[in-house]
Amino acid sequence: MEPISFRVTSKGVYLNLNPESDYRKIKNALIRHTAEANNFFTGVDLYVNPNGRILSADEIRELIEILSRYKNIGQLYFLNQETKNRTRTMDTILINRTIRSGQRIKYPANIVVIGDINPGAEVIAGGDILVIGKLRGVVHAGAAGSNESQVIALSLQPTQLRIGNYISRSPDEKNIEEPTVPERAYVKDGVIIVEALKLW
Amino acid sequence: MAGKVIVVTSGKGGVGKTTTTANIGTALAMMEKKVCLIDADIGLRNLDVVMGLENRIVYDLVDVVEGNCRLEQALIRDKRQSNLFLLPAAQTRDKTAVTPFQMKELTERLKEEMDYILVDSPAGIEQGFKNAIAGADSAIIVTTPEVSAVRDADRVIGLLETEGLKDPDVVINRLRPDMVEKGDMMDINDMIEILAINLLGVVPEDENIVISTNRGEPVVLRNGNTRAGMAFMNIARRINGEELPLMSLEKETLLNKLKRIVGLS
Repeated sequence: MEPISFRVTSKGVYLNLNPESDYRKIKNALIRHTAEANNFFTGVDLYVNPNGRILSADEIRELIEILSRYKNIGQLYFLNQETKNRTRTMDTILINRTIRSGQRIKYPANIVVIGDINPGAEVIAGGDILVIGKLRGVVHAGAAGSNESQVIALSLQPTQLRIGNYISRSPDEKNIEEPTVPERAYVKDGVIIVEALKLW
Repeated sequence: MAGKVIVVTSGKGGVGKTTTTANIGTALAMMEKKVCLIDADIGLRNLDVVMGLENRIVYDLVDVVEGNCRLEQALIRDKRQSNLFLLPAAQTRDKTAVTPFQMKELTERLKEEMDYILVDSPAGIEQGFKNAIAGADSAIIVTTPEVSAVRDADRVIGLLETEGLKDPDVVINRLRPDMVEKGDMMDINDMIEILAINLLGVVPEDENIVISTNRGEPVVLRNGNTRAGMAFMNIARRINGEELPLMSLEKETLLNKLKRIVGLS
């Protein structure tokens, strides 16, 4: 079990501290995550859920210092036992057009595109990405660090596909057959897997 | 008269914007329309050379917007067609010499006199591009069957949408049917599938373009004798509202389709 995990909602990102991990592990995981997060958290509110753990004033001070390393982060909140159950479920933005080269869509929760994502376009989601069309650009699902996110497209031919901390790119060989069925990409055992979408 | 302002643009350089502007403009003039070509590529003007009108330039676009001359003084009447005019770019200035607002004002004035105003955009997506599209009612994207040109065309379509210029048309230039048939060149369907906009016409690669550019004589003037000239003529007729067969359809070999599109069959 990871010492920290993330969940994305329309309000912002929830950071769960694993009650089983000791504080030192949590702290190190956060230091690593803040260093790797790049600028995803710009303007995003972060809700820290200690999951019943009782933090000392020193620990809280230290966590605040570490979390402030996320570039231009929005507000920081610490949840208590009562508030944490009121978190809304993850919601979704619908984009009803083709995303063209040079255009960039970024949303802290799920993104559904009805249209194509052309080469040279970028779509970055905190949660899942679903494309009713051809995906040929660059996509990043779970961009806040959630490796459980997935990417689904009617025709999945991304230039580059990222999920959480994992990254894969299209093969360099030319003349790759176009996929004929909708496909789903997700992370399994540290590798991005692409397989035909099963609708049941 | 309420003319129509059409910007010819591409993003990428060297795909044939100026050649396309010169030929479509000349072809529209041959159809008895009153046409003005505007060279918006300030500092790197070419349209006057391609039209063979370089030696007639006295005033230019920047002179007009700065008030150094009247608009009528800067307009050069074509030496072959009396209803075709050119507003040349300044060669000694740069793109910052004009603002989008000034361009819009200028095209509004020309609309009162002309049926069509074609604006030849510079390559790129910076100030010069923004000037060129400022007064446009519609856009023609020129691209070639290359991945890089199609990518830039896609970028430009997105930028035009942002500026409120919806549903541009595309001209595919310099296509080589023999290479497409061998699978060595992107085919039309691949390109249209990515760009997802209306195909206005396909112009085959033709060495006559080089000859006519160097002579300062748009290739449509030799209509009937060159494949590229015929293709540009058809494009002009489509702009003018004629329904010429173009795309369609199944059971037709690509070569025959191309022949038909460029008018050989």
